[in-house]
Amino acid sequence: MMRWLLVPVVFLLASCAAMTKVGPGETVVRESLTVRLGQGWNKLAIGTGRVEIWTTEGLPLDTLRFYVDVKDGEPLQDVRGANQKQVPQFRAAMEPREVVEMFEVFSVADGSRFRLAKLAPASFLGTAGFRFDYTLMRKSDEVELKGFGYGAIRDGRLTLIVFEAPKTHYFGKVAPRAEAVIASARITK
Amino acid sequence: MRRREFLCGCGCCGLLSATPAFALADGEWHMPMRFQKPEAGGDEGGLWALLDREEAKLKRSRFIVRDKALNDYLAGIACRLAVDHCPDVRVYVVRTPIFNASMAPNGMLQIWTGLLLRMANEAQLAAVLGHEIGHYLARHSLDRLRDAKSRSAFGQFLGMALAAAGAGNAGLLAQLALAAGMFSYSREHEREADRIGLELMAGAGYAPMEASKVWDQLLGELKAESDWTGDPATRSVLFASHPLEDERRDALATRAAALTVPQANVGGEQWRQVMAPHQWEFLEDELRRRRSGESLALLDRLIAASPTDGVLYYFRGEAYRLRAADGDRLRALDAYELAEKQVNAPVELYRSRGMLLRAAGDEAGAKQAFARYLSLRPTAEDAELIDSYLKQEIR
Repeated sequence: MMRWLLVPVVFLLASCAAMTKVGPGETVVRESLTVRLGQGWNKLAIGTGRVEIWTTEGLPLDTLRFYVDVKDGEPLQDVRGANQKQVPQFRAAMEPREVVEMFEVFSVADGSRFRLAKLAPASFLGTAGFRFDYTLMRKSDEVELKGFGYGAIRDGRLTLIVFEAPKTHYFGKVAPRAEAVIASARITK
Repeated sequence: MRRREFLCGCGCCGLLSATPAFALADGEWHMPMRFQKPEAGGDEGGLWALLDREEAKLKRSRFIVRDKALNDYLAGIACRLAVDHCPDVRVYVVRTPIFNASMAPNGMLQIWTGLLLRMANEAQLAAVLGHEIGHYLARHSLDRLRDAKSRSAFGQFLGMALAAAGAGNAGLLAQLALAAGMFSYSREHEREADRIGLELMAGAGYAPMEASKVWDQLLGELKAESDWTGDPATRSVLFASHPLEDERRDALATRAAALTVPQANVGGEQWRQVMAPHQWEFLEDELRRRRSGESLALLDRLIAASPTDGVLYYFRGEAYRLRAADGDRLRALDAYELAEKQVNAPVELYRSRGMLLRAAGDEAGAKQAFARYLSLRPTAEDAELIDSYLKQEIR
């Protein structure tokens, strides 16, 4: 009996350990990006590889993903078990649409369905960048998500911040906080 | 597809179902009578109950393709193959860009869109569906269930199934069954399903030789992917338990040659008409997989069959643009040029051409392409971005 009780307890402890609190105040992301937070966020502390992932309500409900200083020839994310040629790599000469296409590949890797709603120029990190808006039908629970991302390529390196949440309730609730984080972002290194 | 609609949509099956049940040439198999729903208390009853629950979720899934014309057409093919069992077969088209189909013992037949994209004609799809219906008619999944129990693996089997069911994911169990090999059949089962499938094809009037072509095509794609990645282990999920691909292709060809089907039907033109409204979305899904070798081999084959289809040339260009290997920029531009010459040239080719020319420093050429795109698609989702390119001065 005790063995069965151990399973949820270990799982619970593991879940707690996986999150750390960030903010409020100035916070550095991946050593070179600084953001100013009005409220605290939860940061997924393990197993995120190249991407840093934050949430307010929990991972299935809202995510803010940071891809910072991606160099020419690097992927946005590592894909375990995939051949390198099957994982799209960032190229410094990419057009904004090509960056979105690269992001999309990771979004649909689990069978989810991505639809780009808008792609437009936008100021980001004090430079001419772009913003994209999209919807995603998540495969695992068939919840419809809304998302937006801001990207810019500076000195041949890509920085991309993407927010995503269920269209119903959570997007409207958390998106303004995510917008504020993105608006405060600057490169400090 | 609702059961009642399915039955109504299969009026054509009445005549075909009057054809006598047939047996394999070596006398090992006879078309069985329609199966009755098993008692709830037994192992088979438990499996059916589980699958019925999964099917109820699948019916509501937002990943089901609900085009009535496509569903009626596919149900008609399944019906012609299943003959007397037609009323027990329920077809679901699932939006997943992978080559696969499966039939559960309760009659739920899933067809993935990656399979539809890859079939050259109706007879080829009939070959795959005939094979899956062959598993159903021979009740192979029940053999697997009992075999698993006898080896004390039932707990693992059921645990996996219940975990999937408890996860609340529509259709997950049925898809997991494919991916994780819950219903992975023995090679002997696969060979038997191939043999039954060929008989069903022939009985329904399809050209049996198309069956071996399906595997030949898939082998071509897998080889192209291996050549591109340099990884010989690149394999399709479908092949996890299937006989060696080339052995299977050859066995199918030999058996097909021995079957005589008067006025054998391939059904190419009707196939293209039914698939046409979905081709764009299915090809977009295909390119998102980033299996460049497979996608380009597939596109080469589709273009050979429809050499005046501008959409196919456009997607070939997209495959090269997204792959972005040495020489791919010029290959993509060549493909867009061919697309532009066809009657159904897609507007998007101008945007892609613009991006490639801009990246190569040909700003005047890029502007010309972008201007053409925007004039043809002024409300495009990226119109603001394209417009900003047009407003930039040429350096």
